Amino acid sequence: MKDNKERFPTRVHLVVYFLKGNLRFFVLSVLFASFVSVFDLINPKIIGFTVDSVIGDRQPELTGIAAFVLEKAGGISYLRGHLGLVAAAVVLIALFAACCRYLFNLMNAMGAEKLVRRMRDSLFEHILHLPYAWHGTQQTGDIIQRCTSDVEMVKRFLAEQMTGLLRVVLLLVLAIWFMAGIHPTLTLAAGVFLPVIVGYSLFFHSRIGASFEKVDIHEGKLSAIAQENLTGVRVVRAFGREQYERERFETQNREYTKMWVDLMRLMSMFFSVGDLISGLQILTVTALGAVFCVRGALSAGDYIAFISYNAMLTWPVRGLGRIISEMSKAGISIDRIRFIMNSPVEKDRENALTPPMDKDISFEHVSFAYEGSEDKILDDVSFTVKAGTTLGILGSTGSGKSTLMQLLDRLYSLDEEDASEGAKDASGEGKSGAGKGSGRRSGRITVGGVDIADMKASWVRSHIGFVLQEPFLFSRTLAENIAIAVSDSGPAHKSNKTTGKNRASYMDEVRRAAKIASLDETVRRFTKGYETFVGERGVTLSGGQKQRTAIAQMLIRRPPIMVFDDSLSAVDAQTDAKIRHALEENTGSSTRILIGHRITTLMNADQIIVMDKGRIAEQGTHEELLKAGGIYRRIYDLQTNAYEQ
Amino acid sequence: MSSKDNSENNRMLPWFGIPKLLPYVRPYRKMIVVMVTLGIVSSLIDSVYPLFNRYALDHFVAGETLQGLGLFIVLYVILLVIQVIGNFISTYLGGKVEMSVDRDLRNAAFNHLQTLSFSYFNQNNVGYIHARVMSDSGKIGELIAWYLMDTVWNGSYVICVLIMMLAINLRLALYILALLPFAALMIIFFQRILVVLNRKIREINSTITGDFNEGITGAKQIKTLVVEDTIQKDFEKDTEEYRHTAVRAAHHSALFRSLVTLTSSAALALVLWKGGMITRQGVIMIGTLSVFMTYALGMMEPIQNVISTLSGVIAIQVNIERLTRLLETESDVADTPEVIEKYGDTFHPKKENWEPLHGDVEFRDVSFRYPDGDEMVLEHFDLKVPHGTNVAIVGETGAGKSTLVNLVCRFYEPTMGQVLIDGRDVRERSQLWLHSSIGYVLQTPHLFSGSVRDNLRYGKPDATDEEIWQALRLVSAEDVVGKLDKGLDSDVGEGGSNLSTGEKQLLSFARALLADPRILVLDEATSSIDTVTEKAIQDAIGTVIRGRTSFVIAHRLSTIVNANIILLVSDGKIIERGTHAELMAKKGAYYELYTRQYIEMETDRAY
Repeated sequence: MKDNKERFPTRVHLVVYFLKGNLRFFVLSVLFASFVSVFDLINPKIIGFTVDSVIGDRQPELTGIAAFVLEKAGGISYLRGHLGLVAAAVVLIALFAACCRYLFNLMNAMGAEKLVRRMRDSLFEHILHLPYAWHGTQQTGDIIQRCTSDVEMVKRFLAEQMTGLLRVVLLLVLAIWFMAGIHPTLTLAAGVFLPVIVGYSLFFHSRIGASFEKVDIHEGKLSAIAQENLTGVRVVRAFGREQYERERFETQNREYTKMWVDLMRLMSMFFSVGDLISGLQILTVTALGAVFCVRGALSAGDYIAFISYNAMLTWPVRGLGRIISEMSKAGISIDRIRFIMNSPVEKDRENALTPPMDKDISFEHVSFAYEGSEDKILDDVSFTVKAGTTLGILGSTGSGKSTLMQLLDRLYSLDEEDASEGAKDASGEGKSGAGKGSGRRSGRITVGGVDIADMKASWVRSHIGFVLQEPFLFSRTLAENIAIAVSDSGPAHKSNKTTGKNRASYMDEVRRAAKIASLDETVRRFTKGYETFVGERGVTLSGGQKQRTAIAQMLIRRPPIMVFDDSLSAVDAQTDAKIRHALEENTGSSTRILIGHRITTLMNADQIIVMDKGRIAEQGTHEELLKAGGIYRRIYDLQTNAYEQ
Repeated sequence: MSSKDNSENNRMLPWFGIPKLLPYVRPYRKMIVVMVTLGIVSSLIDSVYPLFNRYALDHFVAGETLQGLGLFIVLYVILLVIQVIGNFISTYLGGKVEMSVDRDLRNAAFNHLQTLSFSYFNQNNVGYIHARVMSDSGKIGELIAWYLMDTVWNGSYVICVLIMMLAINLRLALYILALLPFAALMIIFFQRILVVLNRKIREINSTITGDFNEGITGAKQIKTLVVEDTIQKDFEKDTEEYRHTAVRAAHHSALFRSLVTLTSSAALALVLWKGGMITRQGVIMIGTLSVFMTYALGMMEPIQNVISTLSGVIAIQVNIERLTRLLETESDVADTPEVIEKYGDTFHPKKENWEPLHGDVEFRDVSFRYPDGDEMVLEHFDLKVPHGTNVAIVGETGAGKSTLVNLVCRFYEPTMGQVLIDGRDVRERSQLWLHSSIGYVLQTPHLFSGSVRDNLRYGKPDATDEEIWQALRLVSAEDVVGKLDKGLDSDVGEGGSNLSTGEKQLLSFARALLADPRILVLDEATSSIDTVTEKAIQDAIGTVIRGRTSFVIAHRLSTIVNANIILLVSDGKIIERGTHAELMAKKGAYYELYTRQYIEMETDRAY
């Protein structure tokens, strides 16, 4: 390995990275949370004082600020006549508390949402820049889950659980301090319950968590049965197995329901035990407080204040157990995200070159095997394509013709050391299979004499127009799909939403490309024309329509090298011919590489290669190959005979 | 789909659609009565607790006596125990009712789906139907149990407290009562904003999940086009919109929460002011004042809960509507009562009355239009298929080749005319009777998760291992199973994911063969598979169609050429029919299609 160092060696590294730019919001939010606690704790004090000294007749024993405030308010006797002032004070303090509570929640949300955005953006960007080989080794669903549920989990950990924990601890310390100021012994009596509450809540939550996992698994099974039944509805009907399916579903449904009911019993138990402990704690405080009051160690006002403080503690402390038990799960999610963020992205060599690309393309002794496979898909392939000429490649499925083009486009690397890039599987275990086979990947590909491995990958790709056999359409309009590769480059395409002149010339370009690709007529038949929304959330296009869109998408870029990887396989022979003629007229000096099945597609090429089992079997012009009487000839005969039969 | 959802959101059902659920709730009505009663008792006890404080303050503290403390404690503990047990039972029952209703609805939906015709499955995608079965039922269960309990707990607490306050001191109670309308209005105001914002957040969230999907499945396209930056920029637009909306929602909910607590404090201040004055005058004692303060502080939250529960009910009616609509959908292919009487229904077949099926199929003057289409795809179509005949149906992808097959299998019924099986209208006998004699092999073979044996036995549950191996040998699939670790016991994975497409195809042939159907429907695979498997599959096809009436949606030349009847379909209509020789001589559309396919297949074979 070139580079054994992981980008995020520990969980902390990743968390610190994600927290960049939003940590201050969390700090502010905790700060405001502590203000909330302080203000919330003041009011019972005021009430206690009011009960004792304003409503009651006890002489106030105040010092410091409180005494000063009382002085300013007109003294105790004035207050006794104007209780409204006390009420105003309560409202005022509550207003401060409300403001701080608002700011606390807002800051917390701002931090949390910035955090989520940063996590998603980083993940998405990282995934986009991972080597293509990596994508081949991963399950889409699994990666998406890491980017959604696990991100949510980490957000909750940082924005809810961590701040929640800090907040509860702070509240606890402050409240106990206030309570101890009123009556230390009573505080002790109230306090002994707290560890019990936290402990039992932690105990239950770990058990509930385990049950939840079991329920989840069963729900997954049930869901899968329904899914299979629906996707296989034809099989079910055709074999007349409705009754069997019904029993299968009902059995699993019963099982799943039973697990839930068991879980509910556990949760009811949890809540009830919690209620019982809290109830006993409140009783202890109430009864013991009354005893102290009667003995004269506690005033009625202080008694009321103390009970309020105690009530403020109950729920946060009960929640503490849940927070702690859920925090333990966050570690797993962080690791799952770390796996993606630690996968090495595509890298260009140092001082990567950007040479002109309208030159000769040369494959030199190229051999290649896919990751985890011993079989060479390409074996010592060499050929040269002169700039501005057309190369045709003929070959059966699996002969390695597509691999040639993927190598040219740097989707795979000929570099032996890069071979293990994608090999790590999702569980983070080491390299799979093969290991370093000798010469499994060797040779080089040059354009104008420069090894493409020394160039910037983006440079290479942006100068090669590669039309895939099964193109992928993005969830946007047809026009946007066609212009996607030029929408943010070049003076005419500053923005694809611009109006007026730019917009008009942008649409002209789109239409021109679509016309060459024989797509324009089809699009005209759509009610929304080029504004038809396609892709996963839009209209589904047929295979041939997709291929033609991809050709238009390539043409609009006007690349010096064009690759058609069996890109007309899904259109009929007539359209195929039409597109080929249009291409010949419009692609000018570009170097073209056509991969195909039909002799008619390839026969006009300046040079034709016939691939067989990873090697070049035949090479030459159409006439030369016909004379040679090999595979090419045989296929030619087959195809012409078929037409003349 | 989105426009459909919107219209669903706007429609109000009478009583939120809840009456439609009554049949599913009725079996649990006793449990519900118990849990509601216990819930009310619990709330009542909750509202009584402050009275203990009052007693402590007014009796013990003010009276400077500890007399009666023992009784005080005993009474408190008794109430606590009653409440704890009551809460345990009602929470447990709540869970039980929730899950039972959920389970019953899921079963009902699932079972109903087994009887619906294919037009339903064509009009609704699997994801949509799946969500109806799995998540709508869950939401409704939650509604029946928890929304009810939350309303009972919070509502009865508010009512109990109001009664207490009015009973203890009318004047003070009226002060607080005056605050309530304002509080309620404020809560409703914010609740409405939050519902809208939260819906938007969910929408953007699913867009972002879609973006991730696009970024991953479209990786190759993105790389070859070098549009990483464009895609990233658009993605960041979505995540920024999400952040913006989420912060806006947080702003409203933070403001909301702060205002609710502020209102509580205002109520408290009001009690302190007005109550303090009358306490000083000696009208009430400190304990009573304290009770009022507790009530004032604790009233806002239950009110807020009741309102948010009610707004939740409005949101859930969408789920109720969708699920009940599914349950009320009637199959457009249904057996008549007379047929059911004789042959049994989907779940209770009367096999003793089933006649054997020979496999003569006849279309007699059939005209057909898909229930969701407006054009006749078959008009006055006649075709006799004596048993043992092999019919090949060819045509472009999406040309409507499945139509005939759908009619033979009675997945659809003719709009006019008749489909006859063994000389009798297919509607004269039950669907299950017909389906039990039809084998169906799909282009994308569908296996169920489970063992190989389970899958092969799908069409014949009592097949012995010997029979299974016999079938495997006939389609040359014994190697496929032989090389698996556990042979027939091997797990095929979800949807058969542990096997290759070719292997799945072979197994599905074996499955069809085991069922020994009289009529076989085959949808050949178009996807390219390796030549060895390709050969094996062709041989398998030859084996399974021998001696059976077969309808093959054909892609392979050998299958087409050897067919007794070839039907060429274009734009949903049959445009040519005849044997291979007849159609080639005609030099029409079939000739053109055939030559083109021939080229492609032979090209690959030429190496």
